[in-house]
Amino acid sequence: MTSPPLLQTLTPTFRYSTIGEVGGPHARLLSGPPRGAGAESLDGHLTRWGVNPLLVRPAEMRTALRSSGLQGRGGGRFPLSMKLETAMLAPGVPVVVVNASESEPASAKDDTLCRLRPHLVLDGAAAVAAMVGAGEATIHLHRSARGAREAIEAAVAERRSLIAGDPWWRVSVGPDRYVSGEASAIASFIDGGEARPRFSQAPMAVRGPSGRPTVVSNAETVAHLALLCRWDVAFWRAGGSLSSPGSQLVTVAGAVAEPGRVFEVVGEVGIGEVLMASGILSPPAAVLVGGYAGTWVQGAVAWSTSFEPAALEQIGAQAGCGLLGVLPHGSCGLAETARVVAYLAGETAGQCGPCVSGLPTLAATMEALARGELRRRELRRLRSLCDRLIGSGACRHPDGVVRLVRSAIEVFEDDVVRHLSGAPCRGASHAPILPIPDLDAASAGWR
Amino acid sequence: MSVEVRIDPTLCRGYAICALLFSEGVELDAWGYGRVIDATPAGRRAAKRAIRAAKACPNGAIRVISGGDGEGWGP
Repeated sequence: MTSPPLLQTLTPTFRYSTIGEVGGPHARLLSGPPRGAGAESLDGHLTRWGVNPLLVRPAEMRTALRSSGLQGRGGGRFPLSMKLETAMLAPGVPVVVVNASESEPASAKDDTLCRLRPHLVLDGAAAVAAMVGAGEATIHLHRSARGAREAIEAAVAERRSLIAGDPWWRVSVGPDRYVSGEASAIASFIDGGEARPRFSQAPMAVRGPSGRPTVVSNAETVAHLALLCRWDVAFWRAGGSLSSPGSQLVTVAGAVAEPGRVFEVVGEVGIGEVLMASGILSPPAAVLVGGYAGTWVQGAVAWSTSFEPAALEQIGAQAGCGLLGVLPHGSCGLAETARVVAYLAGETAGQCGPCVSGLPTLAATMEALARGELRRRELRRLRSLCDRLIGSGACRHPDGVVRLVRSAIEVFEDDVVRHLSGAPCRGASHAPILPIPDLDAASAGWR
Repeated sequence: MSVEVRIDPTLCRGYAICALLFSEGVELDAWGYGRVIDATPAGRRAAKRAIRAAKACPNGAIRVISGGDGEGWGP
């Protein structure tokens, strides 16, 4: 693994597309021991990857990162190099945080990465810290992610004083709330405050809650940085598409044999191929793309679309957290959406007017629609409620809920008509498809 | 004097005083919370009204920053 095939660099027009699995032959981030082997040890990691050769040469790392075009994989797709350069220009020593607190209930990519390849995440975090000149790096997880936390803590213990150039490690565990995974909420929590999104005038990379520049980056994003420091940049880029270089992790959830299984999409791979790899052999009724704050897409449309940002944009979707939620034929997408919206409406931070006043109404309206108790003119009101919610509040939480609701009304148009006529479809009484987490009591607060 | 006006939605409780004192720059949304419609009001008069609104907000949700030096009114 130390020397990538040169073929990729010599013939940049040649691309290969494939689906990688943990321990599989085509995997990049997920290459190495199989799933059953658990977390890869430091020995195993160093045997396969060696130490990061650029860790002591931050300037070269910055150049590699800039030419890679690596984008944030938490959903924002913001270029990591831009975030780091902003933080470096801002006054003060930057705070470096790896966001491994995967809030999307059906997503498992960051959890899988932390549990199985903790050293890739730490290598990436060390690279970020070295580039911005921070002596400390924090890995932040949800309290319920016990497996990931154990793996990360064990990995930190293994590395202590062994890897030259490592920052001082901190592992932080916060509440399991949906909005607590948002970057400003994490930064606030690490600064000793509540894990609720903050409103700020300046970007966090300029000035975070602590007053210092703050870099919060997703676990998958920094793990890619670990590969990038060891590989030829063109080879790394060829793992993705032009609009999003580098391979990407995808979680398949919903009506599949093994919900929560994580795949690595290498090159431009159709959503249909990913679903086939998880045992779905023909287009389902619909696919929820990008997470609970994502969009429903007709199964047949999704099937032939590549899982990469530019292609997804064409069908009105976003890669988001990399979730593909499968809705089988015969199920009711409106009932599923109503359950998810009710969950998201209950998961607000309760800070801003739109979430406090608007989302409960939105959830109640979706619930009425799912039950077949909504009247035609109330549907119009639902649409205008969506219009008013978009772009409001301190974080993007309302936007995500609105995106989901709008896509549901569009994709399940026939169902909407049926439900408006007074009777829900038969699918509405089916067992739920998408998982809704039970909030444990320990996470009732914001600390 | 050029200023920049922002409302912190996490602090706004819908007192609506800003919409009275600085009506050209703030409107109320569907639920009665303030929303900035003109973040960079032109003219000394408008800037003064924005500062007055910021000082009057019971929850300190309005921030007015004077252009360039980053000096602000409100929290």
